[in-house]
Amino acid sequence: MDQLELEKLGIPTVTIATTEFAPLARDTAFGQGAEPCFVVVPHPMGMISLAEIRKKAEAVFPEILKAATEWKPVVKPTLLAKSAYPAGRLKFKGTVEDINTTFFSRGLSLGIPIIPPTPELVGEMLKGTSRKPEEVVGRVPPRMGVLTIELVATHAVMAGCKPSYIPLLIAALEALLDPRANWRGVTTTTATSAAMVIANGPIVKEIGLASGQGAAGKMHHANASIGYAINLALDIVGGSKPPTPDKSTLGGPADFVCWIFGENEDMLPAGWNPYHVDRGFKESESVVTVMGIYPPVDNIDHWSITPEEHVNWWGHLVTPLLSIGGPCWITQMEQPHIIGLGPEHAQLVAGAGWTKDRFRKALWEKARIPFSAWPKGCPNTDLLLKKLGEVTPDTLIPLTFKPEDLYVVIAGGYGKHSHFFAPFPGCFPVSKPVRK
Amino acid sequence: MTSLGFTKGLLIATILAGILAGPIDILADEKIQEWDLINPEGVIKIDPMKLNPHPTSLEGKTVMLRSNGKHNGDKFLIRVGELLKDKVRDIKIIYSWEVAPETVDPITGSQERSKKFAQKLASFKPDLVIASQAD
Repeated sequence: MDQLELEKLGIPTVTIATTEFAPLARDTAFGQGAEPCFVVVPHPMGMISLAEIRKKAEAVFPEILKAATEWKPVVKPTLLAKSAYPAGRLKFKGTVEDINTTFFSRGLSLGIPIIPPTPELVGEMLKGTSRKPEEVVGRVPPRMGVLTIELVATHAVMAGCKPSYIPLLIAALEALLDPRANWRGVTTTTATSAAMVIANGPIVKEIGLASGQGAAGKMHHANASIGYAINLALDIVGGSKPPTPDKSTLGGPADFVCWIFGENEDMLPAGWNPYHVDRGFKESESVVTVMGIYPPVDNIDHWSITPEEHVNWWGHLVTPLLSIGGPCWITQMEQPHIIGLGPEHAQLVAGAGWTKDRFRKALWEKARIPFSAWPKGCPNTDLLLKKLGEVTPDTLIPLTFKPEDLYVVIAGGYGKHSHFFAPFPGCFPVSKPVRK
Repeated sequence: MTSLGFTKGLLIATILAGILAGPIDILADEKIQEWDLINPEGVIKIDPMKLNPHPTSLEGKTVMLRSNGKHNGDKFLIRVGELLKDKVRDIKIIYSWEVAPETVDPITGSQERSKKFAQKLASFKPDLVIASQAD
């Protein structure tokens, strides 16, 4: 919440929020140690007429004036229930089914079964890493819960991981808690956004993470259990539950098991680097890259026989995604987008002698909409014009400001499908090496 | 109802009856045990943030109205601005989206950007900011 940054600069603020979203705003502020001044307006404010919104302003104006001149700050002490390590214990009498019922009712699971996290199983899980159990991985928004290595192991047990998976799980969580990953936004937004994890390097084969046919889908134990553990750890320690502070309008299955797969390095076209090498790592390193994404779009292309045809289809397919990006959140045009290029599509492109760079530049040229299609009420049009210089209604607006922001990963196995992963606003890919 | 439809209906009814009858046998037979479990929730650590006292009057003060760009946030604040000018003597109103359009972004995305936005808005030296989240 930007108002808190203003408060840090010594400027008092009043925040207007609607009945539906005020709880999220309060939780966000609470997570940062503040209980600022709010005035609550009946929902909604958006998508109503000018007359209606003016009427809402008039109705609440006396409260705004009162808040502006009479509200007084209250200073609270540091809130720390107890030491983060060792984690608390739950003594319990019952069956595994009873544990699942109780965990779910107490907000300690996501709604699908868990394995009871006994100290013995957690101890076994910790044998998979050299990291100390008391080490803090990060503080998880919106609740700002302290995530220790011990708790990562606890969630890994609950999700059914093997000890060999925990180094990758820790690296993915470290990456998702990096401020550039904007986990707070991903987990509290109204959008159907979720975490995506791409793994590269030797770790993929060492732990059996799927990277080929149906890699991000079912029947792959490492992918399923790590993907589940990521969401468990983040949403239980982070306290993100619907209807608030998780404000997902619909949500989706990636709220349970996030997107996770290895890049298909076995089917990389000759001369193309693995994704982690593009990001500055050595090929021999094990690396995870995470990004907050919208649900991907499946590019079905059974028909192109030249790279030009294929790129042309890509361009038309992803152009509607400008409706996600530019018009509303222009900053999204500065964010990397990830193309999960199917191996067969990659071979089509590379077989004609194209480099990865040539492919993304060609796609960047094709994926455009005319400025005349820009929504009239877009608040950021002035900024767009500033960035692009002279613009006419016929000027073609690209998906991103730079072609380098279209990243290419070889994703999945045989089939004529590729996938386009658009970033959630404010999310940048974050890569972390996997430490054993 | 076709025979295929009937078969499907019977199958669904059987499954539902099974679910309503209670847990499956394997779970019903499970022994009750004493469990010692690790609490997966973790603790919270929050350092308090000092907030600023508000002015006791807005007379002669500069008030910034800040919209994040979500629909109607600006329209709401324009009306608030009109009412403030009507009710408060010598008040100066600044509309953030006019003076700092680069701070119009419904999803700031990071604390770093949030700080930059705040620094830009603070450079206009408002005595108070009234901000609309809209939605």
